Amino acid sequence: MAKNVLLVDDSSTMRKIISRSLRQAGLDFGEIYEAGDGQEALAVLEKESIDIVLSDINMPNMNGIEFLREKSNRPGIKDIPVFMISTETGEDIIGEAKSLGAVGALKKPFTPDKVNEVLGPLM
Amino acid sequence: MNSFTEINDKLIESTIEIFTGMVMMEIAVAGVPLAKLGPLKKSITGMVGLAGTHKGVLAVHFPQEVALAVTSNFLGMDVEEVNEDVQDAIGEIANMLGGNLKTILSDRGKDIQLSLPSTIFGDEYAFSSQAEGDQVILPFKAPAGLFYVEVELEP
Repeated sequence: MAKNVLLVDDSSTMRKIISRSLRQAGLDFGEIYEAGDGQEALAVLEKESIDIVLSDINMPNMNGIEFLREKSNRPGIKDIPVFMISTETGEDIIGEAKSLGAVGALKKPFTPDKVNEVLGPLM
Repeated sequence: MNSFTEINDKLIESTIEIFTGMVMMEIAVAGVPLAKLGPLKKSITGMVGLAGTHKGVLAVHFPQEVALAVTSNFLGMDVEEVNEDVQDAIGEIANMLGGNLKTILSDRGKDIQLSLPSTIFGDEYAFSSQAEGDQVILPFKAPAGLFYVEVELEP
């Protein structure tokens, strides 16, 4: 069954690019939802049926790390997998994201082939 | 990595990677690095600040016609004026370049924080840092014209 995806990035451009890359990668997904920061993402997760989250780290209001921390405290949504897509791919910050439940990370810039390679197994 | 020559080479590599892989636009280096840029006319600048072990700013300056072409390619739709999409796209390019610069300057980007990207645009403006420090301006040629990647780092 196709999976519903939530894209979390403060850049509307990047949300469009990721959405386009998912299509170009030929991945089987259902609805694509969008959020501009961690707070908006939590609201979408509480309301919609989301199977996987693709999240930026460096965002205003609530960044990706704060989002992971808050999500881990909410029983209804804490097990939804989150994959980080960010310019921030230092071992320290990705290590922190993984310790808070992130299942992987993809560095910007990326190509549709790379999206297919790293996200394909999750879809 | 401290040598500006090494930083230049890596930054050129990163810029070409971003444009080829994500903007879907072929670009090339357009000559040697510059020491100074004159006033920017009918341009848009995306920038991010660096703080921590390295302090400074990365900026990318596009004449408006180049910014429109870049955004059109980036989004896969025609863009005819500098609007929120253009500002967002140019800011995101600065953000990606800033992320790469972090990794270039520090071991895997540790101990450097990146600000959120911002943009400025107008009919004529000058871009300068108040800090006396190392500076490089890399010129690139895109199909629609020249653009510049600028890095200023505090000593």
